[in-house]
Amino acid sequence: MKRSIGRLPIGICLFICFFVACTKKPERQMITVLNPVGAPSPTPLIPMAPRLDTLEGKTIYIVDVMYPLTHQLFEEIQKVFSQKYPKTKWVIKSKAGTYFDDDPKLWAEIKASAQGMIIGVGH
Amino acid sequence: MPVAPIVTGRFQDVAEATAASKGMPRERFTYIHHPVSNKSAAECRKYIEGNDPLTGKRVIEEIVAALTKPLSEEEKRTGFLEKPRERLLKTDTAQNVERQFLENGWTDGLMIALPTEQKVSEMLKGTSHKPDEIVGQMMPSPAQGPWKYTVEMVAVNAVMAGAKPKHLPAILALAATGQGSLPSSTSSMARMMVINGPIRNQLKMNMGIGALGPFDEANAVIGRTWTFITKNLGGGGKAGTTYLGTFGSNYNYNNLCFAEKEEALPSGWKPFHVQKGFKQEESVVSVFNGWTLLNYSAYNPDPYHELMRRQMVALEMSGAGAHHTPGVNIQTAGTLIIDPVTARALKEEESFETKEKLSQWLTEHVHFTMWNYWNAMPDYLKKAREGVQPYASLLKRAPESDSPLQLFSPKAGVEIIVVGGETNPYWYAGDFRYLASVSIDKWK
Repeated sequence: MKRSIGRLPIGICLFICFFVACTKKPERQMITVLNPVGAPSPTPLIPMAPRLDTLEGKTIYIVDVMYPLTHQLFEEIQKVFSQKYPKTKWVIKSKAGTYFDDDPKLWAEIKASAQGMIIGVGH
Repeated sequence: MPVAPIVTGRFQDVAEATAASKGMPRERFTYIHHPVSNKSAAECRKYIEGNDPLTGKRVIEEIVAALTKPLSEEEKRTGFLEKPRERLLKTDTAQNVERQFLENGWTDGLMIALPTEQKVSEMLKGTSHKPDEIVGQMMPSPAQGPWKYTVEMVAVNAVMAGAKPKHLPAILALAATGQGSLPSSTSSMARMMVINGPIRNQLKMNMGIGALGPFDEANAVIGRTWTFITKNLGGGGKAGTTYLGTFGSNYNYNNLCFAEKEEALPSGWKPFHVQKGFKQEESVVSVFNGWTLLNYSAYNPDPYHELMRRQMVALEMSGAGAHHTPGVNIQTAGTLIIDPVTARALKEEESFETKEKLSQWLTEHVHFTMWNYWNAMPDYLKKAREGVQPYASLLKRAPESDSPLQLFSPKAGVEIIVVGGETNPYWYAGDFRYLASVSIDKWK
């Protein structure tokens, strides 16, 4: 009889645990799910080109990527920088084709003739 | 060579994400006010002489610093840019996990099924392919590097969308196209997917009444999964970074997922996948890119093909909106989604023996209007004003009349798909361009 009474609290505890587990709201249950998100392929870092020590005596190309109706911005950049940095040659160029197109000829010309480039702009 | 890139402030996220994807996460951008397009020279000068709207620094000084300020150690770094990925998310309450999915933009804003090991394992029974097999790759935007994904990763997203194992081969084929459903363009593009072959009936796809509406499981969940794959496995659909559609497109909720009603094709009209070189008994998914569907549901004594032609002229203002941009994206593609009743009439009463004949007739007879022709071809307008023929004589044509330039590229033409409940001779005319087809059978 004494042994049966001693087991009673344990039985009650187990019942309570079972009751709580059964009645716990689904949203409070712990859950582990798979990650739905992927990842980009590893990208090799490209170290940036060394910067110029001065703009003086340098040729800088100002390149319009040919987004529609934005060429006036590049003309103004050329005017403003020519006034402010008269010892630098500021050359304005429009990329061939539309803003979707590559222009390897222009890039080759810039590599051969310039020391820096300003490029823009889109929209 | 040192470069000073200039971008308008509205596109900071895109510019920086693109530079990072090219391996230059420290690119020295200077931002100016948005937009520049069509602003006067005086306004542009103000932008240049003013401050960067994001940093508050003077634009001129930022450009000079971009060219001359010595590089930091970070800017000189080599190696790889990698984003580690865990297969499982941290254990939490279902409520918190659901919130995590919603707040991270991994869903379409609607309820999802959480992808537990058990559910994903069950989903994987829908294919014989191994969970770690690479299915394909997708680019977040045209300028960014690709993301690759496995069978299991696709299955996780299929579970979320409410798909069943039987849907998985079609979803894997869709993922294998490498095409995302949320193009990054500011123009709010949409995507469309069409399923052909025996699998249409095996999945009980809706090809009849309401095929393009919210009525059936397969059409809903396969199409919905495309959005999840795009966002989660292709890196696309991040508003402001890899998605810039100014309005967005409601079509993206299930990406116009439907099946062609092959059984109702008039004799001589081939199923779409057969037109693309597949065997009739193969199951195939085909994907398209576009913007708009124009509805025709009226009664008119004119022949249907003539009504279709007139509808399609209007597409020069839709997906072909870029035609207003000089030199950009000249010519587009057309699509007809037509009810079997219309298809039969086109064959029996208007003598279009095949889909190809109708497509050819429309390609040859839908032209730019003159006003758009001059907008799109400024060099021709210049020549016309200088008296150069044949352009000069075209100046006499009314702006709303046909130009010599066909709206649809002969290469892309007009694609035709037959579907619908045969309740009336109706159709949709749209500007969807065919992109790719992939066998579903290969992913069973």
